[in-house]
Amino acid sequence: MSCTIRIASPLRSYTAGATTLSLGGETLAEVLSALEQRCPGIRFRMIDEHDRIRPHMRLFVNNDEARELAATVRDGDTVHVICALSGG
Amino acid sequence: MSLSSSERARYQRHLALAEIGVPGQEKLKAARVLVVGAGGLGSPAALYLAAAGCGTLGLLDCDRVELSNLQRQVLFDSAVIAKPKAEAGRERLASLNPEIRVVAHALELKAANVRAVLENYDLVIDGTDRLSTRYLINDACVLLGLPLVSAAIHRFEGQVMTYVPGRGPCYRCLFPQAADGMVANCAEAGVLGVLPGVLGTLQATEAIKLITGTGEPLVGRLLTYDALEMRFDEFRVARRPDCAVCGDNPTITEPRDPAPPPRAAAAPGVRRLSAAELEALLREGSGATTLVDVREDYEFDAGHLEGSVHIPLGELPERIGEIAPGSAPVFICRSGGRSLAACEFALRAGIASPANLDGGLQAWAREVDPELTVA
Repeated sequence: MSCTIRIASPLRSYTAGATTLSLGGETLAEVLSALEQRCPGIRFRMIDEHDRIRPHMRLFVNNDEARELAATVRDGDTVHVICALSGG
Repeated sequence: MSLSSSERARYQRHLALAEIGVPGQEKLKAARVLVVGAGGLGSPAALYLAAAGCGTLGLLDCDRVELSNLQRQVLFDSAVIAKPKAEAGRERLASLNPEIRVVAHALELKAANVRAVLENYDLVIDGTDRLSTRYLINDACVLLGLPLVSAAIHRFEGQVMTYVPGRGPCYRCLFPQAADGMVANCAEAGVLGVLPGVLGTLQATEAIKLITGTGEPLVGRLLTYDALEMRFDEFRVARRPDCAVCGDNPTITEPRDPAPPPRAAAAPGVRRLSAAELEALLREGSGATTLVDVREDYEFDAGHLEGSVHIPLGELPERIGEIAPGSAPVFICRSGGRSLAACEFALRAGIASPANLDGGLQAWAREVDPELTVA
């Protein structure tokens, strides 16, 4: 199973500037675990100590919001990491 | 509200559109729109709304025009540097379209004044550069039943969404909570000058559609834009029944100024230091305190505390070994948000008793050393 994850620009310092990565996993939790292995430290910017999505971060599987880490990710899906932006 | 002959001439291209026509243009003439933030987003939004014939246009900003604004804030030119943005913007908009009424609000929105200001308008454009103000505006719009078109930018990326109370989610449904400092702003991270031009014109488009009742607004749809990839994405966002302001049992029933969230949000084990406390620690510790500055290279180069180790937040995971586990380091950034994230990461990495400089170097410059340049 492979999906694509698109990283919000405030977090791209963890991905060496990469916008997207291909990762394995059948749930959001597994995908984020794979992401953490590739980019150490990035998961903690999105997920808190209680495995909750931080309130200024949103995760979408394709175009739909995933509010739980148990959300299913299918082969070919795109996971989008969206971060609250403050700039105006 | 009928159109004069000069207005019919001015808006002829709108009148030619069946979707707008005379009825739509008359609605625009009757509309009262407030643009909060005369910055990168507010500039194009206000210019296009003025040109479109929005009858009453409010422009709210408490800052003055700076040279570094002109790279993207097209409402201003070199001749108005150092002038109040609200007034300089009012003059520019009135010059662009003398048929409309432009109101300058040279003030900072607070819980104490937000109702009084917003009550004079039918629709709000949010182009501010502070998360706390975004929540204040959102909450006030929900409570007053006002449509809100909100956008935000970062480097090469932007987001825009329209919130109509009763018809979809609000900003808090999208991001229930965020504190200033968690996300770098334009001054810290940089921004492509044309980026807010794209997002600000989208905001004006949404406002015109809402006023004239034309098309499908971005209600419940978050639109994101990546300028580097020249890519738009759209995401469905639902109203949260547990939303603090528009949910089934709201806990926010009046606009309120933000509590100081970083101090409250700290993980157990993270020490908090004010600028004065750190200054005392450095004075008494004779250089024994480890200072870790987690800002970006250009911020560090502009000015930093003597003896600081420089590890940008993004490099911290791979360079955490450079910090001795028992050194009780003090993490530092511009305003205290990134350094707090660094503290929490350090704690998880086994570094005992990390400390955060609350308020960051901005607080240091304010309270200890005004000579320090904080980029």
